[in-house]
Amino acid sequence: MSRPGFVLEVDDRTPPLVVHEGQGFRLEEFPLGTRVIYPPESLPAIDDVDAAIREALLEPVDQAPLPAQLRPGMRLTIAFDDVSLPLPPMRAPDIRQRIIEQVLTMAAEAGVDDVQLIAANALHRRMTPAELRHIVGERVWRSFGPQGLLYNHDAEDHDNLRHIGLTDKGEDVEINRRAAESDLLVYVNVNLVAMDGGHKSVPIGLASYKSLRHHHNAKTMVRSHSFMDHEKSHLHHSAWRMGRLLKEHLNIFQIETTVNNDVFPAPYEFLMKREWEWSVKDQASVLAARRALSVAPRRLKHKMFHELRAPYGLTGIHAGDTEAVHERTLATVHRQQLVEVDGQSDVLVLGVPYLGPYNVNSSMNPVLATCMGLGYLFNSYRGQPVVRRGGAVILYHPLDEGFNQLHHPSYVDFYDEILAESTDPAVIEAKYEQQFATDPWYIHLYRTSHAYHGVHPFYMWYWAAHAMDHVDEVVWVGGDRRAAARLGFRAASSFADALEMVSGTVGTSPSITYLRNPPHLIADTR
Amino acid sequence: MADRSVGARLAGQRVLLTGVTGFVGQALLQLLLAEVPEIRLVVLVRAKGSESGEDRFRQLLGREIFTGIEGDADSLLGDRLTVVEGDLSDVPPLPGDLDAVVHCAGDVSFDPPVDEGFRNNVVGTRALLERVRQIGDHVHYVHVSTAYVAGRRRGFVPEAPVDHSVDVEAELEWGLAQRQAVEHRSRSADVLAGIRAKAERQHSRAGSLSVATATEEKRKEWVRQELVRIGGERARSLGWTDCYTFTKALGERVVEEHAANAPTSIVRPSIIESALAKPHPGWIEGFKMAEPLILAYGRGELPEFPSAPDTIVDIVPVDHVVAAVAAVLAAPPRAGAPAYFHVATGARNPLSFGVLYDAVRSYFDAHPFELGDRGAARLPEWRFPGAPAVERLLVTSERAHRVADHVIARAPRSDRVRELARKLDQQGRRLQFLRRYLDIYREYAVAELGFDDANTAALYDGLEARDRAVFAFDPRVIDWPHYLAEVHCPAVTAPLRQYDEVRKARGRRSGAPRPVAATAQPHAAAFFDMDGTLLSSNVIETYLWLRLQELDGHARFAELTRIARRVPGLVRAERRDRGAFLRSVYKEYAGARLVDLDAIADEVLSGHVLARLAPAAVRRVREHRAAGQPTVLVTGAIRPLTRPLAPLFDHIEAAELAVDDRGVCTGFLAASPLVGESRAAWMRQWAGEHDVDLAASYGYADSHSDLPMLEAVGNPVVVCPDVALFRHARKNRWPTVAWASPGATGRTLNPAGDRR
Repeated sequence: MSRPGFVLEVDDRTPPLVVHEGQGFRLEEFPLGTRVIYPPESLPAIDDVDAAIREALLEPVDQAPLPAQLRPGMRLTIAFDDVSLPLPPMRAPDIRQRIIEQVLTMAAEAGVDDVQLIAANALHRRMTPAELRHIVGERVWRSFGPQGLLYNHDAEDHDNLRHIGLTDKGEDVEINRRAAESDLLVYVNVNLVAMDGGHKSVPIGLASYKSLRHHHNAKTMVRSHSFMDHEKSHLHHSAWRMGRLLKEHLNIFQIETTVNNDVFPAPYEFLMKREWEWSVKDQASVLAARRALSVAPRRLKHKMFHELRAPYGLTGIHAGDTEAVHERTLATVHRQQLVEVDGQSDVLVLGVPYLGPYNVNSSMNPVLATCMGLGYLFNSYRGQPVVRRGGAVILYHPLDEGFNQLHHPSYVDFYDEILAESTDPAVIEAKYEQQFATDPWYIHLYRTSHAYHGVHPFYMWYWAAHAMDHVDEVVWVGGDRRAAARLGFRAASSFADALEMVSGTVGTSPSITYLRNPPHLIADTR
Repeated sequence: MADRSVGARLAGQRVLLTGVTGFVGQALLQLLLAEVPEIRLVVLVRAKGSESGEDRFRQLLGREIFTGIEGDADSLLGDRLTVVEGDLSDVPPLPGDLDAVVHCAGDVSFDPPVDEGFRNNVVGTRALLERVRQIGDHVHYVHVSTAYVAGRRRGFVPEAPVDHSVDVEAELEWGLAQRQAVEHRSRSADVLAGIRAKAERQHSRAGSLSVATATEEKRKEWVRQELVRIGGERARSLGWTDCYTFTKALGERVVEEHAANAPTSIVRPSIIESALAKPHPGWIEGFKMAEPLILAYGRGELPEFPSAPDTIVDIVPVDHVVAAVAAVLAAPPRAGAPAYFHVATGARNPLSFGVLYDAVRSYFDAHPFELGDRGAARLPEWRFPGAPAVERLLVTSERAHRVADHVIARAPRSDRVRELARKLDQQGRRLQFLRRYLDIYREYAVAELGFDDANTAALYDGLEARDRAVFAFDPRVIDWPHYLAEVHCPAVTAPLRQYDEVRKARGRRSGAPRPVAATAQPHAAAFFDMDGTLLSSNVIETYLWLRLQELDGHARFAELTRIARRVPGLVRAERRDRGAFLRSVYKEYAGARLVDLDAIADEVLSGHVLARLAPAAVRRVREHRAAGQPTVLVTGAIRPLTRPLAPLFDHIEAAELAVDDRGVCTGFLAASPLVGESRAAWMRQWAGEHDVDLAASYGYADSHSDLPMLEAVGNPVVVCPDVALFRHARKNRWPTVAWASPGATGRTLNPAGDRR
């Protein structure tokens, strides 16, 4: 049995602790009394993954077994999560590959020959053939890729979108036409964190801008407390309404998987261990890694980190009705990630790692770093935020990684032109979102190149809206000053300086909580 | 006893002044108008352009120094002043009632082209004297010469004719003929070949017309320099310092011939500087001899000077000079006995370089130049190491500059290289300045001449007491440290300080082009170059992207090695002729199927291209489109490479690979590549067809070979230029932008910019 997560209180025997900062990490000595939240250790993985998959498909929740839903002449579409999940990418074979292979086998046995596979990338960038191949595996790729039956969803291909209707709150539901007009839509998900899955899969992953704008906006995000908790997330409420409407029109066979916390492969396992338990070998690895990172050129560091493939173990797989499946999935996710935390603190410390959902094989630009820190990491709570309202967030990231011009062209303009005007999510949304969302050049790049949609940087900014609304101070330790200023924040050269800078808001001896993430955790704040 | 005052002696006289628009002439005019109320003046003023001589003279009277004179221009011109429009090259008939002529016109440049020197100082004087003789032998002719007609003599110089036996007529004939001779010589094949080779090295990439334009410019410059060089050499061969003093001395001979039959005075001032007292302390017009050096010293750009601290530098304030001229005017000698007057300070109140240096230094210590925003300039400390040491320093610096220039012109482009080029050019200008002035002043700086001024002293002593105050030219009254630090330096630095204020108020020029929206004009278009402007790539790189796609590991290595071996040759070709370079690269495409190239471009290249696109460039293209202006991509790159950019442009003009009937590339182009001047020609044609006004249009390019394209439009913008284009852009004040393409490292852009 693995150890549960726990909250360490820093005392004089506590060694310096790992804090992630982009393509590197530092060892930080926190003030005495700082609470450090450690995620639970990895849950034991399922040994026979193929058997577990088969079982899930044959004994789904609240639905007939998959083979019973397959018949010759039917139209079958398999949609799956894109490259943004899991993080880091899973060591081959990807769990989606193993599921899709079994689904396809069953379909073949049932004589289904109209099968298409769609990556549910919504407004994310088109995946490259290599990335698709990594997710679905060589066999599936060879059978479907060259024939054009395995492709990325195109949210701007209006001929291939279908408007399903409006929810009771008047929200447009518009998704991929092929998926919408299939006799059965099988969705294969990787539920890495609590926000994934459920009705977020189909109604969002296969949607168009017209549909997404109803929940991907500043107002909704400010009111999603947090978006890691679908019951309290306005984003998810909207997605759920859409999902329920979709369910009336479409048969969806939802397959959700959960993985454990084995995110770092050898020789980086020390990053998942508690520092005082480091063996001599771990300490040697730490030393070697720090030395190497201090001298490695940027390109090499990028390669070192982005070529990491996580040796995730499968902790659960459930299939069938979306909501019933998701309930079971969340229970597993919480078992792996939930840590009880007693009360809020004045200061929240977050180390922003090298990777987020939108810079796989790309770079963590300042907008993405903000989204990662103030969006994903800040929202990793249930109940109430770890930091009190009006408190301070101290983030670690150099903010110097730059923009990948191929993947994030609209981000560059967003950073150079929009953030220079305003950093208020509501203002930005009202004044500029339409312009970026309908810009023909961005749409061209989204559709033909590997660019995120023009509106995507706005979503990143909305993702951070709840945090910006909740806290009074945001300081980046080690961050580039000009980049931090452009984002509307400040930069400090050390943690001590950052504390000094926020002392006007939280006093000179604030209570501090450090979320030691990754591996993923959810602070269950009472 | 009769009134022997200057005013009384000149009362009722009618005097012709030449050169009144010049420094000395203006001062003399002012003095005579102010202090000799009953004199009547005739001024010889040249028409300039559309302005008549009288217009120019009226403008002159409007200047500040004439504000104290009673009566406005109209009343003055009526009673006391007459303007005769004319020129020394063609002197008009003079009024018959003249009593005296003061000739202070002449070239004041020390290094005139030899023919101009002769024309101004000998021919002009002779023509004027011709007209003077037509009036009669009674006219008193006052010739303003220079003390340095003594040439390279050492020691005591008497107030007497210069001792030489040069054949004036022969020299004159030779000097005037030089213009034509040198012009002819400049057109000889040998000279032209050399000049053209130089122009080609600089401009060949821009095309042959640009080379031709540059060649002709360089030829004219060569003619000028050659005429200067010839004049200087001849002067030195005969014992003068330079062409100026040489021709002035010959001019005196002409005057001396005239003096045989007419009353004639020759006034020889030394180095004339700002006024000590009149019209006001420090009055000066334009930059004279010492000012550039004083200003350069104040800016910290004059590290040493080739003189000894005890060498005498003979400076005289302008009001002393004109007062002496007025006194001379009032005391005509008899005919046949020309009078000589040295207006100098060396004999009775010598100023040494040491004192001059200390005074100037103390002035700048107290009132430093605050150039730009870098605080006070650092003042060099002169150690007076002697002329040879200074010359060595300069020669070494010049050599280092040439080497650095050679290197920088071949350095790969980058912000750092451009910044180095900018500094190097600044250094180069300073060196040129030093070379020019040190060459000119070397002789003066070491001249150990003592100008005897007994005649001038006697003239002064003969003045009435009241006149000694009004027409003050006793050098002993000058307190040198006071004059230099309190009068002269403040006066000569004032314009620069004013300019500096203006520049500060205007703020730093950002160098960025104005936003399109603010300048949007109908019928304008925007022309963009591709490689280096919109994205960081080059034709070799793109060839490899295309080619390596179809090769496996080993073949890739072989191909890379083969291309790497060709690179030095290609780089040389690129420097010489962009079109030839493109052709030799495009030969590599022989055998490829065009359809395949298009397919590879769509599948693979769009990623390469888009990842290298400069976001600011795309933004600018889109701004032009938003303003309703057509956007045009003009590139020497092959058509398939431009496919990813197609949505940004209304028209793309790229190189088309020629294919045979099977669709296989032949390795040749379907038409000549659009580079250099052919781009400009194509743009003019396209603009004509599409009702586009090129003068209102924009051009964006990065390389010297794109110069014709940029020159074809009214709003050229230079993007991350190479050194040659960078220099051209700075000279023409073209806006320069640094559209950063993502660097090679992971194709990312630093959000904080590259420079911290």
